[in-house]
Amino acid sequence: MSATALLILRILLALSLYMLLGWALWLLWRDIRQQGALLAGRKAPSITLTVQRPGAPPQSFRFEQVEITLGRDPNCEVPLDDGTVSARHARLAYHHGQWWLEDLGSTNGTLLNGELLTTPTVVISGDEIRCGQTTLTLALTAHTLIADTLRIQSGE
Amino acid sequence: MTGRIQSRLLSLAAFFLTLYAVILTLAPAVRERSWDVPLRWSHWIGLVLWVGAFALIHRQTMRYLPEHDPYLVPLAALLTGWGLLTVWRLTPAFGLRQTLWLAVGAAIFVVGLRLPADLGFLRRYKYLLLSVGLFLTALTLVFGRNPAGGGPRLWLGCCGVYFQPSEPLKLLLLAYLAAYLADQLPIRLRLFPLLFPTLLLTGLALALLLVQRDLGTASIFILLYAIMLYLSSGRRRVLVVSAGVLLAAVLVGYFLVDLVRLRVTTWLNPWLDPSGESYQIVQSLLAIANGGLLGRGPGLGSPTLVPVAHSDFIFAAIAEETGLLGTLALLGLIAFLLSRGMRIALRAPDRFRRLLAAGLTAYLGVQSLLIIGGNLRLLPITGVTLPFLSYGGSSLLTSFLALLFLLLIGGDVEQEPAPLPQPFPYLVLSALLSLGLFTLALADGWWAVVRGPDLLTRTDNPRRAIADRYVPRGALLDRHDTPINVTRGEVGDYTRLYLYPDLAPITGYTHPIYGQAGLEATLDPYLRGLRGNPSTLIWWDHLLYGQPPPGLDVRLSLDLDLQHLADQALTGHAGALILLNAANGEILVMASHPSFDPNALDEEGERLLTDPTSPLLNRAAQGRYPVDAALSPFLLAAADERALPDVPAGLPAPCAVQVARPLTWGSLVAAGCPFALETLGDSLPPETVTTLLERLGFLAAPDLRLPVAPPLVPQDVIGALSDLQVSPLQMALAAASLSAEGVRPAPRLALAVDTPRQGWVILPPLGEPMGVFSASRAGAVVQSMSPMERPFWQSVVVSERDEGPLTWYLAGTLPTWKGTPLALVLVLEEDDTVLAQQIAHTVLQPLLGP
Repeated sequence: MSATALLILRILLALSLYMLLGWALWLLWRDIRQQGALLAGRKAPSITLTVQRPGAPPQSFRFEQVEITLGRDPNCEVPLDDGTVSARHARLAYHHGQWWLEDLGSTNGTLLNGELLTTPTVVISGDEIRCGQTTLTLALTAHTLIADTLRIQSGE
Repeated sequence: MTGRIQSRLLSLAAFFLTLYAVILTLAPAVRERSWDVPLRWSHWIGLVLWVGAFALIHRQTMRYLPEHDPYLVPLAALLTGWGLLTVWRLTPAFGLRQTLWLAVGAAIFVVGLRLPADLGFLRRYKYLLLSVGLFLTALTLVFGRNPAGGGPRLWLGCCGVYFQPSEPLKLLLLAYLAAYLADQLPIRLRLFPLLFPTLLLTGLALALLLVQRDLGTASIFILLYAIMLYLSSGRRRVLVVSAGVLLAAVLVGYFLVDLVRLRVTTWLNPWLDPSGESYQIVQSLLAIANGGLLGRGPGLGSPTLVPVAHSDFIFAAIAEETGLLGTLALLGLIAFLLSRGMRIALRAPDRFRRLLAAGLTAYLGVQSLLIIGGNLRLLPITGVTLPFLSYGGSSLLTSFLALLFLLLIGGDVEQEPAPLPQPFPYLVLSALLSLGLFTLALADGWWAVVRGPDLLTRTDNPRRAIADRYVPRGALLDRHDTPINVTRGEVGDYTRLYLYPDLAPITGYTHPIYGQAGLEATLDPYLRGLRGNPSTLIWWDHLLYGQPPPGLDVRLSLDLDLQHLADQALTGHAGALILLNAANGEILVMASHPSFDPNALDEEGERLLTDPTSPLLNRAAQGRYPVDAALSPFLLAAADERALPDVPAGLPAPCAVQVARPLTWGSLVAAGCPFALETLGDSLPPETVTTLLERLGFLAAPDLRLPVAPPLVPQDVIGALSDLQVSPLQMALAAASLSAEGVRPAPRLALAVDTPRQGWVILPPLGEPMGVFSASRAGAVVQSMSPMERPFWQSVVVSERDEGPLTWYLAGTLPTWKGTPLALVLVLEEDDTVLAQQIAHTVLQPLLGP
């Protein structure tokens, strides 16, 4: 009799142990899911690039994504039909809450506001990027990141 | 969020531990199978203090580190509580000490939470701290003590409080290495000059540990040093070189240091010396096997059988009481803890704290792997503690400090994680630790479930002897159900009583130290209740108690009245007597003298083992005696009557006894004349003799539920007939064939077993009857061997050997006898034909009349 009662307790004991482990793993999984949702919901502020090439009308591109490549290659987000521009010339990337401009080892270099770019540099609205003979002007829209983050953390 | 997760996980841990404590309290009732026993209460002190300590730690961590990792504290809390209750269960006195150490550890932890999160003091005073640690360890060379008495003197302290400086030395070494490597490595000089100071200090620490014979800690130091170097430099060479160094250290140690050699040999070959050097590891495996899948339940196993179960072998104790399920969860908890540690390391804000966090995680992981691997016989035993779980104040404090530093590093969320140029070494470390834990889980399953049932049947499993005290063993009864060996007493105190000690060489004994012998050994599955009981009952009792159901009584074919006559007559002589029913092979008397009293085995055992007269030997079934002229009746029966050589006119040589006149082959054989053997043997073709020996059962051991010895057959058996050595049992079966119309019966000793469902169930004979002679030829031969006026035939043979003289006496009923056909064989280890006849007649008298 006592043994049967204790057998039930022993099974409960094993169950409680696995309940703890299972619950901890579930919490971890939920944490990962939240992180995923947070990152999925995190949007870069849209960016507008105005391309000015000598002997051509200015052209505007608007982007919602977080990574933009500039270059002669037609696969680039901003294809620049200019012989002085390398195939993959420079990259604009959004991280740490900022847009960063980075030279991708171009032949003629990238100028930001007239200065040669050596390290990835933060850019803001109105900056002027020069690749070869092409000039691009930046325009950033308002920062929506904080609102997004708040929305996801409140679980909507 | 952090607070909610942490408090909920802590509550679950508390729930688990409370259940554990409840089961531990009730365990004595199950063990003694009665509510009328004192229950265990003392461990609740430990649980109450655990609840208090971790409630305080929870509140303080929330206050000082609101954003800390919410999993670390509950995981450590569960491991600590589990270890604490296990120590209470194993040795309550140690449990109390461990509880006090938990209080001290919690206090230090809470105070430590106020430390600055950047742990700058560790970095700044790295040389000072490590030197203090080394100094304290060096002090053990002079003032070292061992609280347990003998053994390595690794502790400092007095008056009941002892501390092992080599435990926190691990943390100081890690802090020093992390600080030094974080400061130096970006400079990227050549590796060796850069590492010189660390090599020097680590080498110094190692030398200290080696002198102190603290080999487990030394191997952990080598491993931690290699890991730290690999993490900071990212060069795979480091791993290869340190693996080589460790291997070389083991090899050198194997040839130079006895302790290392001992550890390695017991690891490679534990089964060679299971009661000596390998006792610990074999007991550990037995404990794990006894746990099985679900475990015996807290307080219901016998983990105290494993030496130092509270510290080095606490994993085996946990495995026995919570089973494979419990230990897999335990490994899961450790894996979880390590994964959180690695996560903290990767997210650390600077190089120093990253290296330190990874080092602390590696310390917890490596030490767990080493000792659990040792418990599971995956690795040699290193004698280190299992962090958080093992008994030991220094070990517990060190684990708490490691936890504290990890929490402090992980709680500093203000800063971004530092960039990590080489993430690969961290991945390798995580992969190695996971792989190690996975291998442990596989080995655990192997010993607990796959190999477990076989291991538990080993006769050196002390749990069998314990079960004998708690479960009644079946009785051995004679053919009239008179008890011979019985079990008496109360639950927890059952003892075996041997009511007829003279039968001891045959029925044997069951003893916690001397094991089992005779019928007690052969019939053990029935007497222990593992055979004959319904398998569901056996399964259920094993699940509930870890013990077999009550044993079953076995009825033997022995007749105690006749047995008594034989034993009385044989007392004072060395020899054996067997009387059996020639028709069905039931053994009515089996006596072997000198005998012993198994009731006095406790006091007499050692002497009996070395007694030159071998009283423990069952001479009737295990003694081997040269057949000599005792073979001649069978040769005579096998020969064709018409082809027999002529009977000599006079006696060419003396016979064992006076030959009856007129001389016939029958009277010569009955008198044991040696030349009869020679002449008859020569007259038979060799293949006839070989067939005869085979059919008589002289070339193979008889099939019987009793330990029997195989015969000693010479290479050229035909040329050396008289050198053939057989047991009296074999001779008796052969003699039975002469009295039972030429058919050798299959012997029977255990007749039936009393099962709970079907009552007495017959145990069939193991062998088959074998036709040896034609009925008429056997009848004619025994008739010719019969002395005047007696209803039986006989043959007396004396054998003179270098080992001493020997008298065979063979007898059996004649075909004209209307009662049960009988056969009797007596061996005396002396030359006394008169005594032999006298003894045999005493036994036959009541059966055959005057």
